[in-house]
Formats: sequence, C-alpha cells, structure tokens
Amino acid sequence: MEGHQRNLSLYERFNARVLGVSRDDVTTLKYWGNGLGITFPLLSNITGFLGAYFDIQPEGKPIFGRRTVIIDKTGIIRYVRDGSPDFKDILLFLKKLNQEGGKP
Amino acid sequence: MKRKGLMILCSILVAVWLSGCATMEASKKVPYRLSPQGTVIWEDEFEFMPPPPNWKLLRVEEGGDINFGFMREDPGPFPSATVFAYDEEPFGCSTKFEDREKEFFKRFLFNAIVQFQILEKRKIQVLGGEGLEVVVEGKDPVKKEKVRAKVVFGKRGERVVGFYITQWRPMDGSYDLSAFEVFDKFVKSFKFLKKSFYETL
Repeated sequence: MEGHQRNLSLYERFNARVLGVSRDDVTTLKYWGNGLGITFPLLSNITGFLGAYFDIQPEGKPIFGRRTVIIDKTGIIRYVRDGSPDFKDILLFLKKLNQEGGKP
Repeated sequence: MKRKGLMILCSILVAVWLSGCATMEASKKVPYRLSPQGTVIWEDEFEFMPPPPNWKLLRVEEGGDINFGFMREDPGPFPSATVFAYDEEPFGCSTKFEDREKEFFKRFLFNAIVQFQILEKRKIQVLGGEGLEVVVEGKDPVKKEKVRAKVVFGKRGERVVGFYITQWRPMDGSYDLSAFEVFDKFVKSFKFLKKSFYETL
C-alpha cells in the first residue's frame, strides 16, 4: 500500500486510480491507512464477496489472498498478478494501457 | 477540469497487509565490478566506495525495499553487529524530508520494539543535493539491548531514497563509532550512474 501511495503521481499521469480492498472493518482500515499516510480509498468488504468475485478468497480463511488487478475503463480485467505488487511491472502496464487509450 | 483520455481503475486486493517484508542474506552472486579507482560499479547503476573486506555483502534476492548493504559482526556478546544499507524505497511516502523522517521512524526496526531518541538531526548535502541526516538511539530495557542508528535521506529524481546504519549492542556495551565513519564514506562516495526507472517512465 505504501508503494502505491508513493506512485500516486505516476498513476495520475497514466490516468489510473488505485483502490485497496480487504476484509477488515472500516475503523481498522481508517486507523491503518492513517498510520501509513494512505490517501487513496481503502474499501472494507467484511462479507468477502469481492474475494469470491476475484477468486482470491482462500477456502476456510477469514482474509483475502494478495492480488493486484487492473481493470480498464470498459470494465475488462487487463492484468492480474498474485503476491506482493511488482510496482515497476504495474507502472509499465499502465503506461502501455494509457498509450493504447490515446490511439484513435 | 474534465479528464480526457483513458480512465483505468486499479483494484488492489490486499489482505495480508504485513506480508512480503524484505529478507536479506549474504549473496553468492555479486553483480558488481571494480573500477580502476577502487570504487564499486553496482549493476551499472550505482558507484560507491566499498567498506573494508571484513564487511560482508548483503543483498535482497528478489523484491523488497533494500537494494544492498554490508554487515560486520562486532566483538562482544549478542547482538553486537553493524549493518548499513542503501534503500531505494525507505519507509514512508512523503517527498519532503521532514515528513518522510517521521513516517520512516514509525516503521524503522519495528520488530525490535525500541523507543528511539533523536540524538542529532541536520540538513546535509548528499547525492548532489540537499538531504537530511538523523542520528538516533533506541533501547530495549526488557532484552537489555540498545541500537545506535544514522539515517540519511536524499533525492533520486523526485523520490526520496535513504541510507542507514544500525549498530546493536548489549545495554552495557559501547558503540564503535569507526563503523559510522565507514558508512559516511560510503554515503559520500555514492553516485547514480543512470536515471532511475521512475525517472525514465
């Protein structure tokens, strides 16, 4: 999350927005986000349906796995990676998507 | 103002907030070469004066926050050791040094649970520009251990990068400040040989 916060100006350049999603409650996320200085939205999904939707809810576990998903403006999922975010890979992909979007 | 162009929504799904911490270990493959002047050229990206041979090289095998550093086991009982490192992404997000320093020390040596006292803080010249140097000491009265650290914040392009040295000692041990002189030489000699990934985007 901190890495995404550092990259916000670059995401802005590539017309991207970042959201964080977890199963923590709103109060926990507020406390956590404030502690790290996170300014982008953190979404609380305590029922976990987003985990099922993105296939990132391990069976029998109360938390999501870690996954990075990029969705384009038409709602199509264009990028899925598991594990810790590879910020350079994400930025290169966003740059490419942005360039594609600029073409006629 | 109405935004033009592609709008991309990034959904970042994260649950294991604290996972993925960097791990370090001594490396067998060293991606560096020595220059005729005795400096180290690291991956054709950084140049610096290496520490004496009794310092072991540390590097992250994949990902993580710390690019590389050096470690020395010091005389005396555990935890007598000194580590210093270059950190491309020091804890925190701010690009202003004073704010970054506060963010950094919320997380620095977090697992050790020591309370830091700032011993010295001053603006310095580093990496060809303005920087901030902070010397701290942390103590753990339960484990009866202490640590002295110096953190240097500088800029690479618009982003803040850092150097730090930590020297652990038993509570009644004395620090070896000569290690901090080695660190200072390392920092002073450090140069970027090319633009960072972020500067070339």
